Amino acid sequence: MTTHFARVAVAALLAVVLAPSARGQMRDPLGQLEPSVRYSVELLLDSARLAGVPTRPLESKALEGLSKRADGRKIVLEVRRVLRDLREARSAVGARSEDELTAAAAALRVGITRAELARLASSRQDKQLTVPLVVLVDLISRGVPRDTASQTISQLWQHGAADDDFLGLWSGVQRDIVSGTDPGAALMNRAREIPSRAPVASPRPE
Amino acid sequence: MPDRKQHATAIAVSLALLTTGEHAVAQNASELETRFEAGATSMTSRTSRIPLNAFALTPGIRYADRRLSVSARASAWLSGEQVELGNSSVALEAHTPLLYGVRAELFANASRLYFDPSAQNDQLDAEGRLHLMRQRGGVWLGSGVARPLRVTAVSNVNVSSGGIWTKLGSTTLRGSVTSFFFTKLASPDTIEGPFACTATLDASAPITPPDDGVGALQSTSTGCRHQSRLIDLEGSVGWEHRLVEITVRGGQRFGNSFDVTPESRQWASGQAAFWISNQIAAVAGGGREPAQPTRGLPARSFGSLGLMLAYWPIPRGIVPVESPASLVQAFELRPAGTAVQRITARIGGVESVEIMGDFSDWAVLPLIRRGRDQWELLVPMTAGIHHINLRIDGGRWVAPPGIPTMKDGFSGEVGVLVIKP
Repeated sequence: MTTHFARVAVAALLAVVLAPSARGQMRDPLGQLEPSVRYSVELLLDSARLAGVPTRPLESKALEGLSKRADGRKIVLEVRRVLRDLREARSAVGARSEDELTAAAAALRVGITRAELARLASSRQDKQLTVPLVVLVDLISRGVPRDTASQTISQLWQHGAADDDFLGLWSGVQRDIVSGTDPGAALMNRAREIPSRAPVASPRPE
Repeated sequence: MPDRKQHATAIAVSLALLTTGEHAVAQNASELETRFEAGATSMTSRTSRIPLNAFALTPGIRYADRRLSVSARASAWLSGEQVELGNSSVALEAHTPLLYGVRAELFANASRLYFDPSAQNDQLDAEGRLHLMRQRGGVWLGSGVARPLRVTAVSNVNVSSGGIWTKLGSTTLRGSVTSFFFTKLASPDTIEGPFACTATLDASAPITPPDDGVGALQSTSTGCRHQSRLIDLEGSVGWEHRLVEITVRGGQRFGNSFDVTPESRQWASGQAAFWISNQIAAVAGGGREPAQPTRGLPARSFGSLGLMLAYWPIPRGIVPVESPASLVQAFELRPAGTAVQRITARIGGVESVEIMGDFSDWAVLPLIRRGRDQWELLVPMTAGIHHINLRIDGGRWVAPPGIPTMKDGFSGEVGVLVIKP
């Protein structure tokens, strides 16, 4: 009986001692990074906080690199690039949601200019930019010429296209590309199927 | 005179062990698959010559790469003390790259069909097709020739076909029209009705069209030649949902009464498989099959009830294994409660499927197998944009198909999920 109580007491003691470290690991996923890598990533996170850009995409990129067994130096380079792109994106589209800034940063990386992003952001300030930008980035990576993709998405956006329109457009274009259609032509053809939803401006009285 | 109204009825109860001994996808997307089925089958036939509890062994092998697929399969019956060759086939499929949604396909087969010792046939056939393919459907037109080997009364068979298929959610609809055109030889006393002929005319006699104009009949010194044309209109519906797979097919045959017996005018059959666990499925089916006059095989009714045991070991280290996203036949997300998404993937012939993404802090989450090729997982996921990767059998992390992608900065890609609020 005494032995039984002793075992229970030891187990309870171990639970109390080990619990904080387990909780710590749950709260600190960056703890799995090598100390030097973690130090560099923490510096970049501090820079992000100072610059007022979201830190979650940076943490996420570091964890992604860790899970994909990337080299520590490569992880730091990628996190630094994400920070740079997020800063640039914010200066182009202004204070937007984390998703929008992340999508804008991805757009910059495939060659969309800050001026193009700024035009998109200013044309419909009340709407989320995320889905059009996600579709734009994917289309360029699938071989649609950058200018064609940028102009088409921009026009659709200005004509009031909704998220479902963009996702439907993406779905149709990628099907056409798989079927052998030229990526640029596929986008132009599919874009014509989307009706304009922009409110018709009433003519000004002369 | 053969009885054209003969029935062959088969009832099979089988326990099959299916093992894919080696199944590996190499770097060049080629695939090697070996399989082995063993089962006890009982069958009653027209002649009842196959004893109950015959035992069949069916080894098979298939090699496929991006343009070519070769497969062979044979079953051997252990009937009493004799081993007999049962249903067997060697098949070759080749196709060109897809160009503007169109590809050319070539099929060549040597096959053996075995109903019972008195009804069996070997045949060589080849067909070319033009296939217009889209993501959710396609149409094809084809033409070919078949040569039955054991039916001396039938010449080469010209086969023309056309078809259409489409996918609607988990349902696949198919429709096809196939025309068979061949010359049949028969002794004068086997011909009846408007096709009767006498044996007194010789081979140089002119061809005389029959009264109904459907076929031309020419008598020879040993019998009559009759040009036959059959047209089969067939449709099928396949439905799959998690643990259940159901296929129903039916058809109608057109042709004159000399070529098409009443019991082959319409047919229908169905088959269902229910996966009891990852490796055990109950299979049931039944229906009616039309006669195959070009192969000398009668119409038959059949019923089957079986239990299939499946096991797919994948040896590692023999062939470099890669996990191309093309293995994923379907990938879907559906809301399953507040801030929870149900991820389902349809991937056949693999041992493990895993995902990771920003929603899991890039921790690896294994999907749970449901049935033969269904994988599923409930994942907490808030509204917004999420990045996701998928991995098959411990291979490379890839973006799941059917969603936008972007470069990940680590020489790969991530899928971008858009979760609506």
